[in-house]
Amino acid sequence: MSSFAVLVDKELRSLFLSPIAWALIAVFLFLMGYSFTLTLFSTSAATLVHIFFQAAGLLLLLVPIVTMRSFAEERKTGTLELMLTAPVREGELVLAKFVASLAVVVVMIAATGAYACVLGWFGSPDWGAIYGGYLGLVLLAATLVAIGVMFSAMTSNQVVGAILAIGLSFLMWTLDSLAQLLPTGLERVFISLSLLARFTPFATGAMYASDFGFFITATALALFVAVRALARR
Amino acid sequence: MAGLADRRRAAPVPSPEPAPPILAASGLGKSFGARRVVESFDLVLARNEVVGLLGPNGSGKSTILRMIAGYLRPTTGQVQVAGFDVVQQGLEARRRIGYVPEDVPLYTAMRTREFLSFMGSIRGLSRPDVGPAVDLVIERLALQRVQATLIGKLSRGFRQRVAIAQALLGRPALLLLDEPTNGLDPRQIIEFRETVRLLAGEVAILVSSHVLAEIERVADRAAILLDGRLLDVLPLEGVPPGGLEQIFLRLTADEAVAQRIEA
Repeated sequence: MSSFAVLVDKELRSLFLSPIAWALIAVFLFLMGYSFTLTLFSTSAATLVHIFFQAAGLLLLLVPIVTMRSFAEERKTGTLELMLTAPVREGELVLAKFVASLAVVVVMIAATGAYACVLGWFGSPDWGAIYGGYLGLVLLAATLVAIGVMFSAMTSNQVVGAILAIGLSFLMWTLDSLAQLLPTGLERVFISLSLLARFTPFATGAMYASDFGFFITATALALFVAVRALARR
Repeated sequence: MAGLADRRRAAPVPSPEPAPPILAASGLGKSFGARRVVESFDLVLARNEVVGLLGPNGSGKSTILRMIAGYLRPTTGQVQVAGFDVVQQGLEARRRIGYVPEDVPLYTAMRTREFLSFMGSIRGLSRPDVGPAVDLVIERLALQRVQATLIGKLSRGFRQRVAIAQALLGRPALLLLDEPTNGLDPRQIIEFRETVRLLAGEVAILVSSHVLAEIERVADRAAILLDGRLLDVLPLEGVPPGGLEQIFLRLTADEAVAQRIEA
């Protein structure tokens, strides 16, 4: 096994052996199940659009709780010193934490696939829109995880890391609302940086390469900043 | 034919390249903002040599070890480990270093053997080599009894041994020990000394301490630090028991006088 695979394995064990991950998955699925049942019985529509937006809203809150421990705890307990003096690259450490945290969030998202199965069993949903919505959720989750890992790499206080990640995630989610107050040139810039504006096409069944590229770029940028934060010592 | 044989005999035999020292630090300095913590630190360690880094608390010992280990980037100067620059060729240099930080940070939720296997893998050992390498360090540091125990439940002495065991995985050329006897009881300190003596024949060791007697007992040379400055590096062979204390007091008193004159 390469050292990267060993690091991912260790991170996955650490996350899935912790009660935090399971508590978050349970809360997420309970709230999503409640909302799905309520909406299905009140609208009788074979669509998951509202579920995708609700999942996205919950991810803004829950992902920073998954990622807050990643580096902050290692910095506080001193094990980060052990890792950074071992023959591994900072990039491998960051990527391993990112992959493991994203895996937890993907498990959360994948479990809601049961709702799509229910719709398919009893109705005729638009499968293209459903696949697009799930792809959008995974891309959004990747960006949120990268932001969480970035702030965790900058501090030794888990709570501070989580609060900063929630703050930036919410700001980026709502940037399009702020854009309405700005002059036309700036408005376009703000909308193009808005997570909500980028996520909406996926959730409603339309996919654009530019939105895909935005999420990939934002994720890569946050991970790069995390690597630089670790290297600055 | 005889002439050719003569020429062969006469041809100069290329002498093998001299092996680089295990550690070569030159002009090493570290500042945090305007505060200078270490300045112009020079030290060369030969193969299998044990050198003690001696100085009062806050004299820069841990900072020096962290720079050599690659955790902190030097503000000035450079460090080479077995010929590899710690900053420019970080991975290669770190492969040759075993480091035990001061507070012995370990993953407390892991069991001893699991932790050592993990560290062996990230230190570049291949999967078939990890098991035997872990067996070896477990045997050498007498960890058999605790190999299935959670690290969080180990005594300070056992944690120290686990930390040294992980540092020895991958057969490093240089072992860095930062205040290794901190928090150990007298029996554990004696055991630690024996461990260092055991390892001294196979790996170069740089050990920091503020306890003079410790350095006197385990090191071949002592590097004496004060306020981030290297005052002297002296061989300990022939120094009578307790003699290092006299040398240390004289050196640091001279430095204090010099600083007062400068002021």
